[in-house]
Formats: sequence, C-alpha cells, structure tokens
Amino acid sequence: MKFLLLCCALLVHANVMADEPLPWAEVTHELGEIDALPAGRLSKRALESLNQTGKALFSAHFTPADGAGRPNATQAIIPTKTRRTREHVLLRTAGPDATACASCHNQPVLGGASDFVTNVFVSEGFTQADFDSIDPQFSNERGSNHLMGAGLIELLAREMSRDLAAIRTDALVRARDTQNDVRLELTTKGVSFGFISASAEGLVDLNEVSGVDDDLTVRPFSQKGVMTSLRQFTVNAMNHHHGMQAEERFGLHVTGTDDFDGDGYANELTPGDVSALVAWQAMLEPPVQEVPNDEAWIAAALRGKSAMENFGCTGCHKESLPLESLDFFDPGPLDVVGTLSSSSVEEPAIYDLSLTFWADQLTRNEDGHVLVPLFGDLKRHQMTDHKNEALGNEKLSQRFVDRTRFMTAELWGVGSTSPYGHRNDYVALRDIILAHGGDAKVSKDAFAAANDSTQLDVVAFLKTLVILP
Amino acid sequence: MKLNYFSISLINVLLFGPVYAQTERNPEAVVFPNFKVQTDESGINHQYTGSWEFFVGGGGAAFDCNGDRMPDVVLAGGSSQAQLYKNISTPAGDIQFESVPLNVKESDLTSVTGAYTLHLDQDQHLDIVLLRVGRNVLLRGDGNCGFSKANRRFDFDGGREWSTGFSAIWEGDSAYPTLAFGNYVDQSAPGSPWGTCHDNVLVRPDSDDFTSNPSYSDSQLLTPGFCSLSILFTDWNNSGEPALRITNDRQYYRGGQEQLWRVPLDGAPSVYSASDGWKSLTIWGMGIAEADLNSDGFPEYALSSMGDNMLQQLDPEADEDQPQYVDVAFNEGTTAHRPYEGDDSKPSTGWHTEFADFNNDARTDLFIAKGNVSNMPDFASIDPDNLLLAHPEGGFIEAGAEANINLPTQGRGALVSDFNVDGQVDLLVINREAPVSVFRNLGVKESWGARPSGNWLAIELQQEGVNPQAVGARIAIKTGNLTQTRTVSVGGGHASHSNGFIHVGLGVAERASVRVRWPDGNWSHEYRVFANHHAVLKNGNDKPVYWYPVFR
Repeated sequence: MKFLLLCCALLVHANVMADEPLPWAEVTHELGEIDALPAGRLSKRALESLNQTGKALFSAHFTPADGAGRPNATQAIIPTKTRRTREHVLLRTAGPDATACASCHNQPVLGGASDFVTNVFVSEGFTQADFDSIDPQFSNERGSNHLMGAGLIELLAREMSRDLAAIRTDALVRARDTQNDVRLELTTKGVSFGFISASAEGLVDLNEVSGVDDDLTVRPFSQKGVMTSLRQFTVNAMNHHHGMQAEERFGLHVTGTDDFDGDGYANELTPGDVSALVAWQAMLEPPVQEVPNDEAWIAAALRGKSAMENFGCTGCHKESLPLESLDFFDPGPLDVVGTLSSSSVEEPAIYDLSLTFWADQLTRNEDGHVLVPLFGDLKRHQMTDHKNEALGNEKLSQRFVDRTRFMTAELWGVGSTSPYGHRNDYVALRDIILAHGGDAKVSKDAFAAANDSTQLDVVAFLKTLVILP
Repeated sequence: MKLNYFSISLINVLLFGPVYAQTERNPEAVVFPNFKVQTDESGINHQYTGSWEFFVGGGGAAFDCNGDRMPDVVLAGGSSQAQLYKNISTPAGDIQFESVPLNVKESDLTSVTGAYTLHLDQDQHLDIVLLRVGRNVLLRGDGNCGFSKANRRFDFDGGREWSTGFSAIWEGDSAYPTLAFGNYVDQSAPGSPWGTCHDNVLVRPDSDDFTSNPSYSDSQLLTPGFCSLSILFTDWNNSGEPALRITNDRQYYRGGQEQLWRVPLDGAPSVYSASDGWKSLTIWGMGIAEADLNSDGFPEYALSSMGDNMLQQLDPEADEDQPQYVDVAFNEGTTAHRPYEGDDSKPSTGWHTEFADFNNDARTDLFIAKGNVSNMPDFASIDPDNLLLAHPEGGFIEAGAEANINLPTQGRGALVSDFNVDGQVDLLVINREAPVSVFRNLGVKESWGARPSGNWLAIELQQEGVNPQAVGARIAIKTGNLTQTRTVSVGGGHASHSNGFIHVGLGVAERASVRVRWPDGNWSHEYRVFANHHAVLKNGNDKPVYWYPVFR
C-alpha cells in the first residue's frame, strides 16, 4: 500500500514537473520569463530585472527545443517560405548561422563586435533563400558591429527623424499659406540631409534629399543604415541568425500560423522576450575615450584629433551629437507593423537611461542635452568614386540603398573592434582610412598627403576610442 | 419566379448545407478590422428613395472635387435629389462632410440611380456622370466642387433609358474617354417589364482634337441588352485591349445571360458566344468587381446576385484566349448566399461588390452590400452587408459581424475609400429608404482602443494631357515574393465607384517596389516607395512624390 502511494506521489510529482523544464534540459529557461509586455516608466529595479533577462537571452545558445532553426522559412524580413525544407539547422551562408547573439557580438565584451571569421551574409532571402556560395552576387558580406551605446544611437535617430518630419510639415504649411513652392534645408543636430521642397497642393519633392530614406526616417542600424530600431533589428536577426521567430512578425495574426518556420514550436519569441533583449541592448554602456597613461600617446592623440578636423574627417565623423532625452520608449515611435511600435500597444515602456551607472559620465551642453560621443552623423554617404572603389565591393543594393552608399561608421569603440570596414576586412586603421572615396575623397586625400607621423597621430587618437572591458 | 427563388434557396441548403459547412478556416488567423458607425456625426443626411424604378440603383461616387485629395462624395437619391458632400475630415480623425449645393436644375438631380467620375475634357478637373431613369447627365467640374451641366457642351444626348451601369476607358490614342452605359428595363415596351430590356450603349468621342471639347453625338447600341445592372471595361485576357463585361438581371430578361463584348476600335462590337468558349450564365447580376487575386495577369470577377454570389476565374483547362470561366465562389467561401447572422435563412440579395484590402494584410478582401429588393418575401429581410476577409490559408472568411458593419439596412451602392486618409479603408453604404451608413475603419480592436492592422500604400497615377488619371493602367506592387496588382478603372460595382488614391495593403512590409503598365502599354521602371505613404507616380518621373495631408 505504501509502495502504491509512493508511486502515485511520484507520478503526481512527475506531472507537475512536466510543465517545468528540468534544470539540465537543453532549453533556454529565460524564454517566456517576461510574460507581460512592460509598460510605463520602469523603476530601476524593474529595469535591472528586465535587463538581466535580456542579457541571458542575448547570451543564450538557442536549441531546437527553444524553436531554433527554421526548416521552412527563409532569412527574409518579410515572412517567406523556403522552396524546400532545409536539411541543416545551421547554414553558414543563408543562416541560421549562429546559436547565440553573443557568438558574434563579443569583442571585447558581450555586446561588442567581432572578427572577420563571424562575418554574416546579407540577402533579402526572397528568391534565393539558400545559397552555397559566398560570391557577392548572392549576398553582401558584412562584419558584426558592436552594440555599445546602441540605446543612445536609437534615441538620437528618433529625435533626428522627429526634426526632419517637423521641417517637412513646416514646408507644407508654408507652401499652403503662401500658395508657392517652399524649399527648406533638412538639418537636424547640425547634420544636413539636403533640401525638401513642398508645393501648395501638399506634395513634397525629394530629389534633393540626401543620406536618409525618402520617408525622412533616420535608420541608424546596420552598416547600410537601413534598420529603424533595436526592436526591428532584434526581430530580424533572431530569425536570420537563429531561426527564432518573434510572434510580432511571424505569429498567427500575421502569417496565419503560430509555427511559420515549421519546426514544431509555436511563438518562439514573445513580445516580452523581444522587450528584454531590446532593454539590455539599449542600456549597454557606450564606448569612451580612454587616455592612455603615456605622455607621448596623449600628445599624439591630441595631434591626431586635430588632424582629423583639419582633414575634414569630422564633417561626417562628428565628435558628438546632442540628445535631448534619455527616455527610451519601447516599443518605439518609428517602427511599422511587423515590429511592435508605440501605436500598437496600450502604453509603451520607458527605459530611463539616466538610471544606468554610466549616464552621469556623459557630458552635457549648456542646454542640458547629453553629448553622445559617437563620432558619426547617422547619415548615409557615397563611399566610392571612380578612383576609389575599394568600398564598392558589394553587388546587391539593400533596401533601396545603392551598393556604394553606407552609413557613416560611428568611430566610438573603434580602438577595440579591429578589423574594420563593412566587410570587416581592413586590418589596419590606416588602410581603412585610405579606402575611403566618394564623399570622403577630399578628406582621404588630405590624410594620404600627410606625412607618416601625422597619419600615425590619427591612428593614436582613434585607438583611444575604446570599449571598456 | 417566386418558385425559382425558393428553389435556389432550397438547392443551396441541400447542396451546401449551413454556411459553416464550407471549408473551415481558422478565424483566429485573420485580423478583423473594426469599423465605427459614424453616420450621425458624418454630416451626411441622405437617403436613396423611391418606388419600383428605384428598387435598383442607389449608388454614388467618391472623388476629389476640389483638388485637396480628400475624397468627397456625390450620392444618388432616386426620387430624392442627388447630393454632393465635401470631405472636411481631419486626417486620421472622424469622418466628416459638409453639404455643397449642386447648382444644376432640380430635375437633373432627381431620378438619379448612380454616379461615376472621370476627366471628360482636358481641364484637369473631375467631372460627374449621373445615371438616371431618363436622360443621363454630364456635370463638368470647376475644380472647386462647382459643377455645371455639360450635355450640350459635350454633344451628349443622354438617352431616355433607365440607366444603371457605367464604365469608361481611353481607347487607343483617343484624347477623350469612350463611355459605356448599362441600361435596365424598357418600361415603354409592350409587356414591360418582363422580357423588355433596353440595349446598352457605347459612346465614342467624335473628335480627337486635344484642344477642344469631346463630342459624344454618336452612340452605338450593344444589342441585345439583357437588363444590365453593372458594366465594366476590363482587360480580361491581358491583351491591352479592353472588353466590356456586363452583368444582367435574369429577373426581367428572356433568353438572356451574362455578357462579354469585344469592342474593337476598328470594327463593330460583338458579343462573345459559345463558339468563343463563353459559357452561358444566368444570374440576378447586380454588380461587378474585378481583381487579379492570384496575380497571374488575368482578373477574377466577383458578381453579386440573389442567392449565390459568383467568383469567376478563367478556367485553367480552357484554350488560350477563350473567355471560359469557372465559378470558384464555393471553394473560396464567397457565395455569401444567406445572412451570416440572425434567424432568417432565406437567400440574400447582393448589390455593390468591391475588392479592397480592409485589414492591410496584403490580401485582397471582398465587400458585398446586401439588402432585400423591397419586400420580397422569399428573400432575407434582414440581410447585413458582407465583409469577406481573405484568409492566410486561402479563401475568404465572413467578418461582417466582427467588423461591426452588420446593420439591418437595405444596402445598394457603396463607396470604398479612405475618407480620413489614415491608410485604412473606410466604407460608405448607400441604403434604400434609410440614411447612408458611414463606417470609419479604426484598425484592430483592442481592449484599450485600436491599433493599425498592417502597413499600406496609397498610389495616385498621373499623366500629362490625355487621360490624366491613367485609367486602364495596371499597377504591380511587389513586397518580398508577393506581387499584388491593381487596375485603374472607372465602372462596375453597383451604380457606384470610388475615384482617387489606389489603396494597397502591405502586411508587414516596410517598403514596396511598384511598376506601372501605363495605358499606352509601356511598363515603367521600378518606383521605390515607403509604406504608409500616399505616393504620386507621374509617368516619366524617376521618383515618386509623396503627398501629406497636413492641411487641416
């Protein structure tokens, strides 16, 4: 009798345990941990908790039991079925090509960049879902950027997009009031994106717009500057690199099935999972300028910074851009359906970046705005000309952006993230500088004309822009 | 005839069983749009009224009468006067109109059954064609919602028939549109109304002088006519040559059927016959809508009727260039043959039908206005309008109740247009003997309000000179592997038509590549456009121009 009772007890226990994965099970325990989408201003404690989950998910090696792999879906941003079921969970070219975000974003810290060996292959994945070759006619080969300070970058882009939209509205209203065409410069935070012309009937001419998409949304992420937000990038990358499909893009209400990739696992990433990943990335400590304890290096770095200004490098690699608010709304205001946005939820969460340990270290200007030391302008530029074609090595345009146009690389952290360039194939800073062309030709030529000592000074300065371990 | 109606109803029940016996489709896989009824606050005070002659008709047109790109409306009134309303909606806000007087003779504004709008002359202002029981009327627009009668100016007699259908197309190099009028019962013929149908009429412009006015003094009869209720120029075989599709009401014709006419510029019109592959079909044809649902270049046709509604697709077994259609409505779930709610299981009566993407999921949906003819006892008396949403797994699913458009009205014509330019298609249904129904599309209903259901694109085509709206153009919209097509047309529906931006749902796509086959047959280069914008594509321009409704 006692034996029977014990058996029953064990069975009951086993049933209870069946809902909870065993501690040693090959699953990511943190998935689904955030069961409700965060909303409102998060306390420091709540933010830290969310952050912890986000870090765990960023570091997790996703397994088939998590839903990793996408046998019937391509890497495309728009849910797209494969023509045939994939035989391999992992595939170096078309992906999934990693089991964890951290597999690539780890140099020199979690969330950092990576070496050439982890380059990814970017293609839209619509008609050529599988490709065996890394020939550039099939995809663009890209290095993995670091994510340090990504929250600040996205906030800058949001404010710039807001400013550009306001200029567009201003032009339209003035055109309406005057019944004449109105042409205004699209300038925000000291960065000019050309001119916009509005007509009295409400039409805008975009022929003079430069460096930003026609919808005037500054998309700060990816080498090309074609991704709007950390949330969008996360949803894209989770599918592309891991075959982990987010409900907000691939779920039942979008695709008609809760298992679009056909791996037997439904709703692999909840909106809460994505929020945790976004929060962790948004709160990553930005790179800093670390002055070495070396008088000669300090002097060289000073001269190098001055030389960069003289060459005109800082016309695009602007030392800093002012940021008005450290409130990071998630979901954000600029995403469209397919990625959760502020208009898709009752109340977005606010991650107050001023609660981070690093916020106080940021310089502020006289208006109280944070000066984000990104050494960039969040603008796309032509990077080649007929004499300088080295950076024109891609054959596919991406998301309406020509092959030879790229977002200005933010130089913060460059001292910690060798190699360089969008293909991650320039081992020395001097070489990547000399590869510049197009809009950067004059500056590059000035650098090339400088003597070795001055060129080394520039390198000395760039090597002070580091990611702290 | 009553026996026939009953028989049809019985056959439906026996063959198809209850509505839900059609292919089961998971409703949870569909995003339901949520419409808010805004009739009372819309500023529109209008009904379609009248006796037998106005049991049919009851249409109108959505169009921009003052150049602000907001869709205004003109509404047929039957025995009441036709009325014009100017759109004063706040972008993304409530739908609001204000009445604008139509300064033409009262007699021209009564007995109006429907309305269509197009550029009749070269002044770049939209004009109105009023269909009437009696002489049809052309109203010339002044670009500021003012209209003057232009029958004499355009040498247009207008006929004496009971007109219920209209379509127009620019043929060849013509400077002016060819007009086609669908006519109903000839009341003056002996034995009327049974078997006494007016012929339909094709009116080609006499003059191709670009600098003058069109002259519509000559007309050709399309004999035989079978009591048409809708007519549409359509490129059914992707040849670039328009044909004329006519749906006819079997209630009154004898020996008639549905029709497709060849209308060559250099020869006499001729109707496709059995020897051409045309299959005889007899229905109570009320309205036509076309859409290339599978993007194969050949449009499908939704035909509204009493009882079963049709969804016609070219028979894949048919020889090339044979207009041989099969009805796929049952398999696709679009028969909509009885009310989807309530206890009344009698057959439905369908009127205006129109394809559009109401939930922006990149799948084309189908709307059907419903309502008893008047008091026909063998047909459902409570017969709410249908909203058939395309299902991700194929076919359609009824969503009228979930979308909140299930009013117990007698719908006739309808205007499917984005009245508050928020990217979500709204709806105005013209009801018989009752106020119009104005439905604002709020998006997806949530406990806290509503959210956008999908991304979208609104496209306006422009050409210099002739045919400025590029009627007859075909638009291919590509997102990922998906290509959707739209055709710029004037005509079809049930006495109703919406002019203006062409709406496309984009689902989760952020951007789209758009190509246009202009009316001259030339394909454009690829226009690259961003989602959730109103894009103006001008023939010859490299880039789209965007329109922003910031004016109010």
